[in-house]
Amino acid sequence: MKTEATLKTGIELRGVSKSYRMGSSDVRALTDVDLGIEPGQFVVILGPSGSGKTTLLNLIGAIDTPTSGSITIGGLELGDLDEAERAAYRRTAVGFVFQFFNLIPTLTAGENVELIAELTDSHGGERANETLEWVGLADRVDHFPSQLSGGEQQRVAIARALAKRPPLLLCDEPTGELDFETGRSILGLLRRLNRQHRQTVLIVTHNAAIGEMADRVIRLHAGAISDDRLLSDPIAAEELNW
Amino acid sequence: MTVLSRKLLRDIGLQKTQFIAVAVTVFLGITMFGASYDSFQNLQTSYDTTATQTRFANLTVQGGDIASFVSFAESQPGVESIETRTVVDVPFDLSETKLYGRVVGIPETSEVNLLSLQSGSEPAGGEVALEAHLAEHFELRAGSTISLLGRDGWVDVTVSGVAASPEYIWPAKSRQEVLTTPDNFGVVFMPETHARELTGLDDPNQAVLYYTDGEPNDALTATLTSAASTAVEVYTRADQPSNSALKEDLTGFEELSVFFPILFLTASGMAGYVMITRLVQAQRPQIGIMLANGFTRRTLLRHYLGYGLVPGVAGAVPGAIAGSLLARLITGYYTDIISVPVTVVETHPMTVVVAVVLGVGASLLAALGPALTASRITPAESMRGFAPVGGGRPSIIERLVPAVGRLPIRWRMGLRGIERNPRRTISTVLGVVLSLVLVLVSWGMIDTIQQLMDLQFDRIEQQDARVYFDGPVDDSTIVALTTVDGVARAERSAQIPASVTSGSDVLSTAVIVLPEDTTMHGFFDAQRNPLVLDQRGALVSQGVLDTTGAVVGGDLHVTVAGMGSIDVPVAGAVDEPLGSFVYVTFGEASRLAGVPVPATAALVSYDGTAEASAIRQAVLDLPGVAAFEDTQALAEMMRGFMGLFYAFVGVMLAFGAAMAFALVFNSMTVNIAERTREVGTLMAVGVDRSTVSRLITVENLAVVLIGVPIGLVAGYWVSAAALASFESDMFRLTLDMRPSTLALSASAMVVVAFLSQRPGLTAIRRMDLTRIIKDRSS
Repeated sequence: MKTEATLKTGIELRGVSKSYRMGSSDVRALTDVDLGIEPGQFVVILGPSGSGKTTLLNLIGAIDTPTSGSITIGGLELGDLDEAERAAYRRTAVGFVFQFFNLIPTLTAGENVELIAELTDSHGGERANETLEWVGLADRVDHFPSQLSGGEQQRVAIARALAKRPPLLLCDEPTGELDFETGRSILGLLRRLNRQHRQTVLIVTHNAAIGEMADRVIRLHAGAISDDRLLSDPIAAEELNW
Repeated sequence: MTVLSRKLLRDIGLQKTQFIAVAVTVFLGITMFGASYDSFQNLQTSYDTTATQTRFANLTVQGGDIASFVSFAESQPGVESIETRTVVDVPFDLSETKLYGRVVGIPETSEVNLLSLQSGSEPAGGEVALEAHLAEHFELRAGSTISLLGRDGWVDVTVSGVAASPEYIWPAKSRQEVLTTPDNFGVVFMPETHARELTGLDDPNQAVLYYTDGEPNDALTATLTSAASTAVEVYTRADQPSNSALKEDLTGFEELSVFFPILFLTASGMAGYVMITRLVQAQRPQIGIMLANGFTRRTLLRHYLGYGLVPGVAGAVPGAIAGSLLARLITGYYTDIISVPVTVVETHPMTVVVAVVLGVGASLLAALGPALTASRITPAESMRGFAPVGGGRPSIIERLVPAVGRLPIRWRMGLRGIERNPRRTISTVLGVVLSLVLVLVSWGMIDTIQQLMDLQFDRIEQQDARVYFDGPVDDSTIVALTTVDGVARAERSAQIPASVTSGSDVLSTAVIVLPEDTTMHGFFDAQRNPLVLDQRGALVSQGVLDTTGAVVGGDLHVTVAGMGSIDVPVAGAVDEPLGSFVYVTFGEASRLAGVPVPATAALVSYDGTAEASAIRQAVLDLPGVAAFEDTQALAEMMRGFMGLFYAFVGVMLAFGAAMAFALVFNSMTVNIAERTREVGTLMAVGVDRSTVSRLITVENLAVVLIGVPIGLVAGYWVSAAALASFESDMFRLTLDMRPSTLALSASAMVVVAFLSQRPGLTAIRRMDLTRIIKDRSS
């Protein structure tokens, strides 16, 4: 299956809609979304709760399937993939960072990173220390999650996502659980990694201030794109304020 | 219904499978408690009522100077009735067969050990009433004719009726021969004067006494026992062979009524505790909100106790009813099989109440810990959201064996998962241990009885039949037996009733005399090493040594009615499952008695060339043969009983599996519920579901594997203790569990554990990743 190479040609959504049942009613999370994202772009997707931003991220990450429309990642049509192929796509092409760090409490920081590499056969095990170094946690490799601060846990989560060197990093409210300073530090880290490794980074957040550091800001409202603009002069994460 | 009650019921509805598992375990425990305890009470009442209605003797004195004893006993306050009678074992000819049976005389105005006539009438002159088991087996009824070998030869008597006796509800020949078949032993009752006339005794040889209102009186028993110093045998109602055997069963029912609730309620308690603890943890934010809105801690305590109350009531109430109904069935079936004259089947409201209290109490106790935790939660803290479980550290085994730290992380994760929630791990381990105990206690009993039967009937009693003669015989009569087609060998033998002692305690038993080079009877010590019967002295059953206090190398004082007493050196202790006897060679017996001891019986083995029934008939046709005892018939009867044991073990296995399933299922479900986010994260980054399933399976089975060896040891120990509680001079039960039983039980437990996690693993396959991500990240 094509992954990294094809990703370099970008992400393309055509007429993507997603609806699901919540209780007894149908909810339209996304309606007829058309979107193209260039490789290496740092994209912030903004919107209020229920605007469909997490659904959009899940569809690109292939942990959900659209009701209609097509999602193409460098020519790879996700709709054509079965369950196992979608898992393989996630394994090789996508790194996820969640609002809640979701670290395994019985494993050390290093082991949390290594585990994903081990289970996905991505040979990232040897790169665990290096990856933790990227996120500034080289000296915390042997610490368990309960011994780390919230910011440090999120850094481990980012390192875990990066261990397999995915071309696409999907971050869902990565600063939602962090205080201002730590959140800003994490965003700086994501930006630095994006620039150093040319990974495509998609950040979903309701915090509009974060948009100021992106190459591109997409706003969603009621399941549709309400605004999509490129920033010619994004500011550094350290300059963000909210 | 209050809002909190609705919440309670809806929460239970959401986790109904787990709550049902707890309720089912409570149900099983309470059902078995009610069934076994009510059966115990019903049987106890049936026996007591039978004893009262039939005026079952409180004391029986056999042999010695009966007349002097009676004159002493009559003057003792507390003796309500006393009567004398003749009780002699003689050969019966029932046309189909000859067997060694018992004639019991009935005094003219009988007031003790009254017969319960089932058909026909009381026997008059020249008539006998047949004991029910004998009559049923040979289909004899009023009007049938049988022959009894009396002093003057065979005498024909007419059957007047069929009767049950409190002395033969279980037709034991003696305490040493509790297991009999109607082919080998039966009882007839006839008027005392005719019994004496038939047997040629001048005076009655037995006195039976009934105390005031039939109540036991230890002081009176002690006085009367010391007055009966010349008697061959003195026994109380409790020690009477039939009653004693029945009491063993009663004890079994009583012990089960304690064993079952402890086992099942502990299991249900652990399952409930794990489940409710998880529930409280998951509902921390809700608890915080309730507290913040003014709910009192007492209200919350009551609310979370409700999660124990509901499955407790749901299991205990139907369990108590089912137990009561099952007890009626068991009592009716049991008393019907063994022909108890009076069957009392009652509903015991107190048992139902106790059963419900036990079931509900255990469930409430399980809920108490988590309910208290819920009531003590700090609102601000609980509303902060997810509280991480487990601090995280290398597992004990990693710390002890550093090389383990080099295993792949997936293995280390499994090892650490075991220690992640110690209480849940302990509860799962305990569930495995309890289940194995339940299985091994039943299976160990089967193994032991099977192996003891093989020992008794294949290695100890190697004869196929025992032949009794109508008097002393010489070697030519023994040799004549070998002329019968199908008889391979015949050995002379004699069995002399005797009482033995080494000081204070006296045991009624028999001295069995055999040739020095006997090939028909094997002798083994407790380690199953063979022993040799020779001129150095007697080989004595361990039961005799335990009862009398005699030791190997010492002497045993043996008294034979009408022949006086002698001291017999004890050359060795033999371990035999059935009965307790003293074995000597003919040479040693003659030397000790000072007179030649003749053979009165023969042990016979077959060569397999003829039908057993044909051999039996041919032997019975030989002159001088008075009775024929088919040893293999007894073995076959006992093997027939094994079918019931297998059914019993089958039920126990099913219950053990159900209990293990309930506990492991609940632990597994909670384990997965607690790790939804981890599992979701792993799957989101591309770890396939089968890998996740394997990781969790390894961790769960590792916990089960910790419990298995503990369970095997505990099961073995409890099995040994349970069997030891049945040990007496009648039976000697030493646990003999096959290694395959341990291996199969352990394997079955692993299979049950594997199956019990299937629902949890299915839940992983159905896990909605987007919901998990959405719930946690949006």
